[in-house]
Amino acid sequence: MSEALLSFNGVSIRRGSSLVFKDLNFELMRGQIVLLNDKNGAGKSTMLEAAAGLLPLEKGEIFHHGELILDASGRSKRSSTAFGLTLQSDGCVGSQRLEEHILNALDLAGGRIDINPWLERYNLTHRRHDLIAHLSGGQRRKVAMLAGILPGFVGDKPRILLLDEPAAGLDESSRSLLVEDLLELKQRGNALLLASHHTDFSNCATHVFNGLELVPNDAKAEMSGTQRDIKATTHRTNPSFRTGVLLNQRTLSTLASNGIAGFLTLGILLALVDASAIDSSIIQASGLFLSAAFAAGLVGDNMVPMLHEHRALEWWKAHRQGIPHSYIHALVLGSALTALTQLGFDEQVSWPLVAIGGLLTTTTMAIVRTIDLATSRLARPRAAFTRILTPVLILPFALLVQWVTDSNLL
Amino acid sequence: MTKRLAETILLLGFIGIGTTLGLAFLKAPSVSINAFESPEAQRIFYWHVPAAWAAFIAFGFLFVGSALWFFKRSDLGWRMHVAGAEAGLATGLMTVWSGMVWGSAEWGVPWDWTDVRLNTFGLLTFLAMFLVLGRQSQPDGVETRDTFSTFGLFGFVLVPVTYVATRLWQIRHPGPVIGGGDSGSLNGEMALILLLGAISFTLFIVGHMLMSMRITSLEQRLESIQEAMDKV
Repeated sequence: MSEALLSFNGVSIRRGSSLVFKDLNFELMRGQIVLLNDKNGAGKSTMLEAAAGLLPLEKGEIFHHGELILDASGRSKRSSTAFGLTLQSDGCVGSQRLEEHILNALDLAGGRIDINPWLERYNLTHRRHDLIAHLSGGQRRKVAMLAGILPGFVGDKPRILLLDEPAAGLDESSRSLLVEDLLELKQRGNALLLASHHTDFSNCATHVFNGLELVPNDAKAEMSGTQRDIKATTHRTNPSFRTGVLLNQRTLSTLASNGIAGFLTLGILLALVDASAIDSSIIQASGLFLSAAFAAGLVGDNMVPMLHEHRALEWWKAHRQGIPHSYIHALVLGSALTALTQLGFDEQVSWPLVAIGGLLTTTTMAIVRTIDLATSRLARPRAAFTRILTPVLILPFALLVQWVTDSNLL
Repeated sequence: MTKRLAETILLLGFIGIGTTLGLAFLKAPSVSINAFESPEAQRIFYWHVPAAWAAFIAFGFLFVGSALWFFKRSDLGWRMHVAGAEAGLATGLMTVWSGMVWGSAEWGVPWDWTDVRLNTFGLLTFLAMFLVLGRQSQPDGVETRDTFSTFGLFGFVLVPVTYVATRLWQIRHPGPVIGGGDSGSLNGEMALILLLGAISFTLFIVGHMLMSMRITSLEQRLESIQEAMDKV
């Protein structure tokens, strides 16, 4: 008995100024491979991204495994069964290692499997520890494709696999291997929605969707050999947190951006402010000591621009299990800057103030990050002048300084 | 006449603002030298208060437009959002700038970072600037409209905060001049000039927003014509 794993119920989607889909009804059943091979601009990527819950709906609802995951009023929910996703852009950050991205996809799916057979199959074993930025376009595409299909091999429960041009830039032999993998995924009961113009997939698709209706396809390719027995092991939790820490350690991005702003502020304060002014109550000492931590937080979370690379931000957003962040690094940096500022002015280090400095950098960073993420749907998010809104933080900062002064924390 | 309605209202607004300024400097009575550090600088209040009044109208327009787009997908709502943001930026800057001039003369500092009204009003102006510059940096589309409308709705929370700020947390900013009790009362001549200023700034803001809405409408028409030509 087949069941619908993915359903579009009267869905209308607008992109830019045009209505791409109007009242679309569509069901993707267990064990189906549905190919989207309409002409360019017909809405293939729109349909896949909507299925992943990435696009707001003008009308209608989208269900995964019978659970509502998105509706037109903006209500969205994480599906209880994670899905596999390959975006048209690769969805991975250049500073990540190849195997890290694939393992993240598996952790998000809730189970790990041995990835060696696939790395070998697609000739990536020798590159497994390489940064994604060092791979060729085709190799990077293989990584994105594997991150989309491997969740389908985890566990017995069938999953939805959303693959947007998974074979773009892949050579002929890799495409043949992919067709074999897709047939096995179908055999396992997964439901695949695949956008591609490659004719290889016409041979394995069970249906073709032309934008209006689902047409059965006379698939000639059959799965060769038997279904592999793949054992899933325990996954590691919190992949987004782990990725944030790893990327920060590898790129030192928090130190290089937030840290520099903080150290520059500290340097300017040391150069311009006479230490004797602190004891004479001419200035509020707590404000002086917290300024560098505040300036560091105002830079925002560098993880957001980093994740804009190859639309990795959308990939993480779609899985609804958190987006990598730099909060831990902000906490350490803010505390260190506050302690250093006090030492720089020959004052005794006040540990409560150091803790406040750490929290100040983290909170400020979190607010700026929220503003950045709120504009991430724009066509040109980096051109949106979000920093104009940062003065919103000055009044709370001034009130915090006043509170610290009144509380005699120094 | 209807075609020139916006221009006519705008022109009347400009004339009224000019007249208000003239009366403020030449005719308005001086305030008590005991009440203010810098009594002559107080004349800027005939510009500052009506500009702030007009800014609140513009921010209200921005909020209604944002809500209409966000909840009803109304093109008129989007045009109101654009017009409200532009007018809010113009009048917000007029208010902030004139307030800073007065603050320098009266308080000795142009800005106080701990005063709630100053900061919330400044933030509203920054929000309007973000909406104007941000919108200009993006292609028009549902994503752009949704994002900026969300900020427009969110920013409106600041309007009541700013309005009640001098009543609840009066730190440095003077209390309300109208409806603020005995301490805020004005004499007849002062009130009349202030009323002329408020009417003039209202006309200015209405004319400005009508014009802006017409420009946005023309932009939308141009874009649809271009899209139709793309398909030929």
